[in-house]
Amino acid sequence: MSEGTLQRVEGDVAVATRGELGHSMESAPGLLPGELRPHPSPFKYVVIAVVLCIVTAIEIGTSYLEGDIPNGLLIFLLLAMALFKFVGVAGWYMHLQTDKPLFRRFFILGCVAAVILYTIVLATLSVFAA
Amino acid sequence: MATIEQTAEVGGPPSQGTPGHDPHATSTGVTNTKLAIWLFLSSDCLFFGAFIASYLLYRGRDVSGPGPRKLFDIPFTSATSFILLMSSLTMVLALAAIQRGDHRRVRIWILATALLGATFIGGQVFEFTEFSREGLHVSTNLFGSSFYLLTGFHGAHVTIGIIWLLSLWGMSTRGRLPTKKAESVELAGLYWHFVDVVWIVIFTVIYLIPQPH
Repeated sequence: MSEGTLQRVEGDVAVATRGELGHSMESAPGLLPGELRPHPSPFKYVVIAVVLCIVTAIEIGTSYLEGDIPNGLLIFLLLAMALFKFVGVAGWYMHLQTDKPLFRRFFILGCVAAVILYTIVLATLSVFAA
Repeated sequence: MATIEQTAEVGGPPSQGTPGHDPHATSTGVTNTKLAIWLFLSSDCLFFGAFIASYLLYRGRDVSGPGPRKLFDIPFTSATSFILLMSSLTMVLALAAIQRGDHRRVRIWILATALLGATFIGGQVFEFTEFSREGLHVSTNLFGSSFYLLTGFHGAHVTIGIIWLLSLWGMSTRGRLPTKKAESVELAGLYWHFVDVVWIVIFTVIYLIPQPH
């Protein structure tokens, strides 16, 4: 196949691919491939960091309430705050909020699979038994 | 006109990132590298989940050797956790900088991230040294094995991240990290934030949740 023919075929393939599959790699100006909306501004990132620091401080303070509040409540509060921070970093810093849902689905799949699998393992080995 | 398969056999569409060529379209509409890093992070969740589960399994079952109640210094570990959290901020600011073409800021924020990460590792090394001095080694008891394995692998991940960031910093100083390669910084950022997110879980589950008496 001559080079001119090959280039024409490549152009046809690119057009056909975009037309048939509807997935172009050409993202809007200022956006990286895979982004649906612009990322947060630097100021917003700083605000998120401040919120995460405050939650971390509250979490550490809560851990010192051991003995003053029921253990179950303490563990629930600590895990809830950890989950909040987890979602904050994953959603905003890892841009799951603004990128295509495909990434969110893969990451959540891994997290959920890990939680389910190891909860089953620990339950089988009676870790949660009183 | 040749089919897509025939064209792929001949030589395929232009490769991604080649000067003068558009990145080739994928069936998902996202780049293969970004999809690959997310798949890797997804698998790494299972990796760390295994070690966290092992720690929870062996918690409170030691018959000898020092335990977490005696060894953990929560204020010190809180400080290192804060440092790692701030490194996530500097990492995302580096990405924002390269997306707007501010290469000087890119280098500053990437270097800051690497330095904060190195400080975190320094804190981990100090903590391990203190624990070792108190008599806790990998083979001392179940707590020692599970703790050192979990935090050791996390530390190895952070170290790899630091090397990755320093290589990006070197590329940027040589002018080999243009704005069109912003995704390279984004991929490093995804890895770095994942490492931070794992530490969020480790810090809560290992250090903060009450230990059995």
